[in-house]
Amino acid sequence: MPEETVHKRSASQWAVAWRRFRRNKSGLIGSAIVVFFLLIAFLAPIIAPYGPRSYQSLYEGAAGEPPSWKHPFGVEDSGIDIFSEVINGTRNDLYVGLVASILTTLLGIAIGAVGGYFKGLISDLVLGITQVFFVIPVLLLILLFVRVFSILVFKGLGLTLIVLILAFFGWSGVSFVVRGETLRVREMEFVQAARSLGAGTSRLLFRHIVPNILSPLIVITTLNIAGFILTEVVVSFLGFGDPNTSTWGLVLNEGFSSIRTEWWVSLFPGIAVVFCVLGFNLMGDGLSDALNPRLRE
Amino acid sequence: MIPVFLGVAILTYAVGNSAGSPIDLIRAGLRNPSPQVIESLRIYYHLDRPVYERFLLWFWQLLQGNLGVSITGRSVAQQIGAWFWTTMELQIIALLLAVAIGIPVGVYSATHQYSKSDYAITSFAIFGYSMPTFWLGIILIIVFSFELGWLPSSGAKGYTFLWGGNSILDALAHLALPVAVLTYIELATFVRLVRANMLEVMKQDYILAARASGLSERTVTYRYALRNAITPVVTVVGLAFGGALGGAPATETTFTWPGLGYAFAQAALLLDIPLVQGITVVITVMVLVANLLTDLIYAVLDPRVAIT
Repeated sequence: MPEETVHKRSASQWAVAWRRFRRNKSGLIGSAIVVFFLLIAFLAPIIAPYGPRSYQSLYEGAAGEPPSWKHPFGVEDSGIDIFSEVINGTRNDLYVGLVASILTTLLGIAIGAVGGYFKGLISDLVLGITQVFFVIPVLLLILLFVRVFSILVFKGLGLTLIVLILAFFGWSGVSFVVRGETLRVREMEFVQAARSLGAGTSRLLFRHIVPNILSPLIVITTLNIAGFILTEVVVSFLGFGDPNTSTWGLVLNEGFSSIRTEWWVSLFPGIAVVFCVLGFNLMGDGLSDALNPRLRE
Repeated sequence: MIPVFLGVAILTYAVGNSAGSPIDLIRAGLRNPSPQVIESLRIYYHLDRPVYERFLLWFWQLLQGNLGVSITGRSVAQQIGAWFWTTMELQIIALLLAVAIGIPVGVYSATHQYSKSDYAITSFAIFGYSMPTFWLGIILIIVFSFELGWLPSSGAKGYTFLWGGNSILDALAHLALPVAVLTYIELATFVRLVRANMLEVMKQDYILAARASGLSERTVTYRYALRNAITPVVTVVGLAFGGALGGAPATETTFTWPGLGYAFAQAALLLDIPLVQGITVVITVMVLVANLLTDLIYAVLDPRVAIT
């Protein structure tokens, strides 16, 4: 029927991306892993047999026991049940990864937009600072900042301190992307066309530029979650984290001191880290393929 | 390069003085150095001068290579000198191995796209990408040092020589696990990149032209495609070196490797501020030198890039 063909709109950018993402097997596996970990994080208080940092098993005489039916991942010498701790840690590690990544993206957008919008001295200065943050050995400074600020000013801030420091050192990648894309999109014909049709600055920005840099931002935010979770694990493993908050890295830190005798303390939290990070990486790669306009079918 | 160096100097100086002065910070960490050390720190940080002069004086000393004394009273520069080479030994061997293995494997994976071995290689790579380096080290230590008893779990050399009482073999035995871990993680990056670049290049018209003119697949792959796919990889080699150095605190702590990274983690935990500042600055310089070398090699490989 001719009428229907007239009214049929071409699929939107997001519909096309979603259709392509659904066909991407590894992207779907990644998303499934992410959803799995999110569920664990939400349901942690219900699923975990023991509470966060609970030494209960010590009084049940199970301290230092290898994996069994009651303690599927084994028990630490101190009496901490690893299975519960991995579940409780999921919550905190996802919190660090998600919040740090979102903060990083917001910070990167702000700084990148300033660099892309202004011209001349301000733009050069912002670019220079971005490059400095891109090249510096970030982990060293993160460790140092976490250590100093956790004993000095922000006692008891726990994970939020780590989140803030991760974001402070992590925004340069996003900022580069935003700046580059803004500069690129700004000069494209459709933006010029919109401008010549009389579109104002805000319409140009939100209707034309932002949607076009949204795709790379979604991808980089997803991949950053993976990166920040890895960094948090390293920070806690090296003993710089909060010893009263359940994280995967903290269990790995405790496992390292009993590495000779109790392999299970090191093994299971590490597997959780690998799969969680893998999930976000696969999802990010899948999104990157699905959202790439150059791969349009 | 200079802004980066200055930026790192400012950041490490600022955090070291966040409690007022480095001495206050060391005390806040409940450490009590001897009066002599306190005195030499007072002189090194020019605590008798006004605040705005202190940073410049410290930075000037830094440029002259004067890194002060650590809170144990030993010269920071001398301590770093000893750790520098153990770190470099590990990093360079791993980097060379990763490049030597990563490029052919990436090429193979790209030329056999969607084959079983391609899936195996890419999965292997993405796992390496998602794994904390130190955790892989822990697992290898548990398996090869404690379960099988083949390799040492820590240090760069032993008191009793392993593997037939030869110092070279002993050093190799100690290198095996840390090198394996670092190589795998860096390999993962290279394989992914080489594969992606090769696939991109293989779609170009000049590859089709080369094939059409009857050149062998081998010539097309290695003489035409790889040459063009390899140039961006050079940049990433520099970045990977910087990344591995930056991650050294975790890897070296796992293997108790007596290098800069292990020393950094210990010093930062103990709030040994002069030592921490010294190591951070030295590692930054190493990263910058690696980046500079990368740029130079890139300019040689790609004539379109001019050295400015």
